Amino acid sequence: MKILVAFKRVIDPDARIKLTADKTAVDTESVEYKANPFCENALEEALRLKEEHDGEVVLVSLGGEDITQTIRAGLAMGADRAVRVEIEDKALDSDLAARIFAAVYKEEEDVDLFIFGKQAVDGDNNQVGQLTAQYLGLPQACFASEVEVDEDAGEATVTREVDGGLETLAVKLPAVITADLRLNTPRYAKLPDIMKARKKEIEELDLDDLEIEDTALKIEVVSLEEPPKRKGGEIVGSVDALVEKLKNEARAL
Amino acid sequence: MGDLFNPTDEHRALREMVRAFTEKEVDPQAEKHDREEAFNLPLFRKLGGLGLLGITVDERFGGSGMDAVAAVIAHEELSAADPGFTLAYLAHAMLFVNNLAVNGNDEQRERFLPRACAGEIVCGMGMSEPNAGTDVLGMGTRARKDGDGYVLDGAKMWITNGAVSETELGDAFLVYAKTGEGSRGLSLFLVEKGTPGFRLGQKIHGKLGMRASTTAELVFEGCRVPAANLVGTEGTAVISMMRNLELERLTLAAMSLGMARRAIEVMNRYGSERKAFGQPIREFGQVARHIAESWAEFQAGRAYVYRVAGELDLGTAGNRVDSDGVKLYCSTMAKHVCDRAIQVLGGYGYVAEYQVERLWRDAKLIEIGGGTNEAHQKNMARDLGRVDRIR
Repeated sequence: MKILVAFKRVIDPDARIKLTADKTAVDTESVEYKANPFCENALEEALRLKEEHDGEVVLVSLGGEDITQTIRAGLAMGADRAVRVEIEDKALDSDLAARIFAAVYKEEEDVDLFIFGKQAVDGDNNQVGQLTAQYLGLPQACFASEVEVDEDAGEATVTREVDGGLETLAVKLPAVITADLRLNTPRYAKLPDIMKARKKEIEELDLDDLEIEDTALKIEVVSLEEPPKRKGGEIVGSVDALVEKLKNEARAL
Repeated sequence: MGDLFNPTDEHRALREMVRAFTEKEVDPQAEKHDREEAFNLPLFRKLGGLGLLGITVDERFGGSGMDAVAAVIAHEELSAADPGFTLAYLAHAMLFVNNLAVNGNDEQRERFLPRACAGEIVCGMGMSEPNAGTDVLGMGTRARKDGDGYVLDGAKMWITNGAVSETELGDAFLVYAKTGEGSRGLSLFLVEKGTPGFRLGQKIHGKLGMRASTTAELVFEGCRVPAANLVGTEGTAVISMMRNLELERLTLAAMSLGMARRAIEVMNRYGSERKAFGQPIREFGQVARHIAESWAEFQAGRAYVYRVAGELDLGTAGNRVDSDGVKLYCSTMAKHVCDRAIQVLGGYGYVAEYQVERLWRDAKLIEIGGGTNEAHQKNMARDLGRVDRIR
């Protein structure tokens, strides 16, 4: 099996973040980066499928030279090689990212699965896997909590988490799957594999290589706001007073 | 790309891996194992799976082939969560595994290292005795040549990983014993559990700190080992000892860094959250001094440790001034930092929930184990007698 895994780095989700002065982005001065947790689930699943069925796991990442460290972390977990497409973060939206992933898919031959995290924990857009499937005309199974592949039948059985329960889909390969957190527990990179990762290949492409000319963004970030500061609580004297406040102050009723 | 603390991408990846593992698997179990004075063997074996037990050992023998800086990173990160557990790691990975990798021959390496690197066996090293510590050449354990082997008699004290439970010995040890007199009379032997005449004297209880590691007395009574268990040649173990002590002291200093770092994080956070007289307590000069001095001393110690680690060649001796120096400075630095953290937290600092009381108890050990501060002062002052101008 040949499996592509979209692998994105995000600002450490546990860190406190600040907005830039113009409030259109997060200030990246001295922030720490980590691999997007959902992408780690995607990679873990790819590695397990490879262990079961043999084959190759290829990471695909979009970004500048400075994302190499995150890519190496994925290679240390066990991916065989990586493709990095040179582009600045702010020059991307979900739609362009999906078109780039689709172009990489076409460059790589004989891909059986393209696995994404269901969303990245920075923008929480939850769009790229679905859009990529659409651009490639591939079946998609999103929010996977369980994946089984039957190579002979050329089919994957995917359990997905939907509102109110689980849905099981059978998709013909090649297909796009997006990973939910409960799909698996990502492994730690072992130290010898960290050492081996530095010798693995990272192929570098740019938009010209992929013949992508239309780089116009469909989404413009107008402004970001920090969450409002929590106001202190208040103890009310009676149920009537509570109902009154819920109705007229909080407007929750 | 690289900095003093993470000279290469591999070092940085190692730190991230150990930190993620530590937050998820080491932190949650630390308080319980301290309270119960119990060694977490399953967690220890996981370090083998991650390649940490053979961190400095060649890949041929099941190791990860990294350097002293990598060893320092692993100890700093683990120790921030659980110094007791980290001490067991140090005794195994530095005092046994690295010691044998550097000073043993290929037959001995093949016999022990793959299992030790994988975490299948728990190992340690025996130098101190009930009546000889700093005065190491005053040890009483003797090895007498007898046909094609040696017979050991004596006892070793304060041996980390000496026991894996209340009654059971650790699996294999490197044991220093006298085969003659003076500095050319010291030899190093491999002794395995199950060797007739080798037994657990006692598992030591009631330790102030480092309670998640076991400490034991090992007893040798007519304990016969084959000549193949002699490490290096007879009478040359002082050099082996010096080489390994440098890494031991460096990684013990790294443990102090981990403890200090965590204590600073705890007091720094608390200083913002806790309010008194209408403002966060960090606004008060007395608390500000605790936080600021701790930070500056920690950073100084950290820079010293990583500078020395970057220059340490695992195969040679000759860095004694600074391998003693980092431990002399960082042990007391961490003890003071943990003490200040307790002071900043007040009553909350005095109970287990905020971890700093445990770090404070653990931090004290580094002033004693692996060489007392007085031994470091003696060594350093003696070696510095040869230094005229400081470059």
